[in-house]
Amino acid sequence: MEAAPRILLAKTALDGHWRGISVVARALRDGGFQVILGGMITGPEIVRAAVDEDVDLVGLNIGGHVEVAERILAEIRSSRPELPVFAGGVVAPWAAKRLRALGVEVFPPGSSLDDIVAAARRLTGRERAGA
Amino acid sequence: MRPGPIHAADGDDAMQRDDKAPPAFATRSGIPLKASYGPDDVPADHRALASVLPGQPPYHRGCFPQGYRSKPWRIFQLSGFGKPEDENERIKFLLKNGETGFLMEHDRNTADHLYNVDHPEVVARREDVGMTGAVMQSVREVAICMDGLPIERTYGHAGGAVVQHAPFALAAYWTVARRRGIDLRQLGGTGQSDFFLTYLGCVTKQQVPTAAGLRLNADIIEFCGEHLPKWVPVSIAGYNGGDTGLNAWQELGAVMANAIEYLDEVKRRASMDITAAAQRVGGVNFRVTMELFEDAAKLRAARKMWHTLLRERYGVTDERALKMRIHIVTSGAYMTYQQPFNNIVRGTLMALTAVLGGTQSLGVSGYDEAISIPSEHAHQMSVRIQQILEHETNIPAVADPLGGSHYVEALTAELERRGWEFVEQILAQGGFLATIDSGWLHARARENQHAQSIAETNGQLKVVGVTDFTDDITPFEVDGFPPVSDAYDVALERLHAVRRERHEAGASEALRNLERTCRGTGNIMPVMMQALDAEVTLGEVGEVFRQAWGDWKTPELV
Repeated sequence: MEAAPRILLAKTALDGHWRGISVVARALRDGGFQVILGGMITGPEIVRAAVDEDVDLVGLNIGGHVEVAERILAEIRSSRPELPVFAGGVVAPWAAKRLRALGVEVFPPGSSLDDIVAAARRLTGRERAGA
Repeated sequence: MRPGPIHAADGDDAMQRDDKAPPAFATRSGIPLKASYGPDDVPADHRALASVLPGQPPYHRGCFPQGYRSKPWRIFQLSGFGKPEDENERIKFLLKNGETGFLMEHDRNTADHLYNVDHPEVVARREDVGMTGAVMQSVREVAICMDGLPIERTYGHAGGAVVQHAPFALAAYWTVARRRGIDLRQLGGTGQSDFFLTYLGCVTKQQVPTAAGLRLNADIIEFCGEHLPKWVPVSIAGYNGGDTGLNAWQELGAVMANAIEYLDEVKRRASMDITAAAQRVGGVNFRVTMELFEDAAKLRAARKMWHTLLRERYGVTDERALKMRIHIVTSGAYMTYQQPFNNIVRGTLMALTAVLGGTQSLGVSGYDEAISIPSEHAHQMSVRIQQILEHETNIPAVADPLGGSHYVEALTAELERRGWEFVEQILAQGGFLATIDSGWLHARARENQHAQSIAETNGQLKVVGVTDFTDDITPFEVDGFPPVSDAYDVALERLHAVRRERHEAGASEALRNLERTCRGTGNIMPVMMQALDAEVTLGEVGEVFRQAWGDWKTPELV
């Protein structure tokens, strides 16, 4: 049996609201993923955790400025260019556009959990994981 | 909403039903609903209160016989972003548009964590600074934010929502007031210092432990009792429990349990009259959602529970202390990202719920709540919704218009019953702080979060424009309020200026006094006032707190 794909979920901002990440983490676990919670960690810490934990996907919970997320994304890509990243949180349409232009799938509030889990499967190449 | 309860199936709670099959219709907190209600649906002990009028104990019908005729609810919107001058401008805009109190929001990154902007954790996220709340690291920046605000006659919220930040935010506000020559004894307003936000809803990266938090709040209560008799020192904000996941009766029970924690501490200290303390602590914040009747009933149940708690547990008889004053914020979690104009309708319905249930002040979430902090237009709409309710509907003419409805009275009684059960569960575990430290309360919120997402996923719970009816022909995009680009740089410059220009010996001495008091037992507020006056900065206060008390051991959240 193939090992469960591993996802690192991290918050980009120092804003401690955790309801969103809690609901998403649960859906991903129920969907057959192993979820590693990074909490409020910086870009370099996210890169380190992604390497140490050998994750297949990074999920960024964005609670602040898109530029912080963009910087984190650049740090991840310079270290592990093949590692897919997706994002969620309170991301204004203008900010979501910027992230999508960089190849990041964005799930704003109201996104379906099924869609998030499906995206995680696609991005990790495990369309049938846990299904 | 389709039939069926969306509350969690709890294993260890006293809310298991004998009947395993879910009721066909239920409120979001799981109270079964009948198709109609008659007098026999109201429990006998509650029915016995049928002739009680608003202004009469136990106050479920409201604390004032004239209702909104004697005092309209305060229009009270959360606001703040960018540089202190940006926040000042927005507050003035709101006041000009008819807001009747104002709230100052401090930047989350810096304030919640007591970091200056040059702290490495903040530098790593410098663009976030000022996105939610203005950056205020010293009394100078607070003075800019308060410039020209009529604080001597307008009820102000000084900020300090998070527990460890409250002493700084309050002392800064009071220092500015004193420098303006205002007698603090005449100053009205509030802070927040809310355990629900700090330890349940918005768990920061670093925070003082709950025991230290309780001490800070008791110090604030005591200090206000002595020096600021018109100030509401702390505000228990059940809202933050509700939006994190607690249901209506869990919110009620947890708020009462939180009040018990504060009042027991005041009693233990024996330095303040319990009646005076109870009156101060009796300004409480709840949330209302789209669950109209349950949430209106919740406010009625809350006032009755407060009256019972104060009388029975603390022997309070002074009616001013027995009257709970309520501030409502309409649920941000119910505002949708999709089709944001629908949120104007939601905001209106939730505001109506608050007005019907009885409230002393009200904030309506912006229609762009799920997208960004409020734009000017969204903020104006939140004020306009309230003004329309106040001036165009005639609703405020009669107090407690829902009173006597068999349905609403039955809901009120049932919420109270379940609320007390929840209080008992919390007390059996050692009290409110114990259930926060252990993560038990977080687990209750998490169960409900999960139940709600299941209900939304399987179609049991419809959200218009999100789960269903998703065609959107909004003629233009609500793109989100843009962040202020120079908030970080200006804050850094101002931090350097304070360090350069302040009287260093005075600041150091004030910091040493603060540290000594934190490690000792005296009230922290007098030394915090000295520290602010000596231009001690936010980050320096944080360092003292961290050294003295360390960090809260966060329970498992997710």
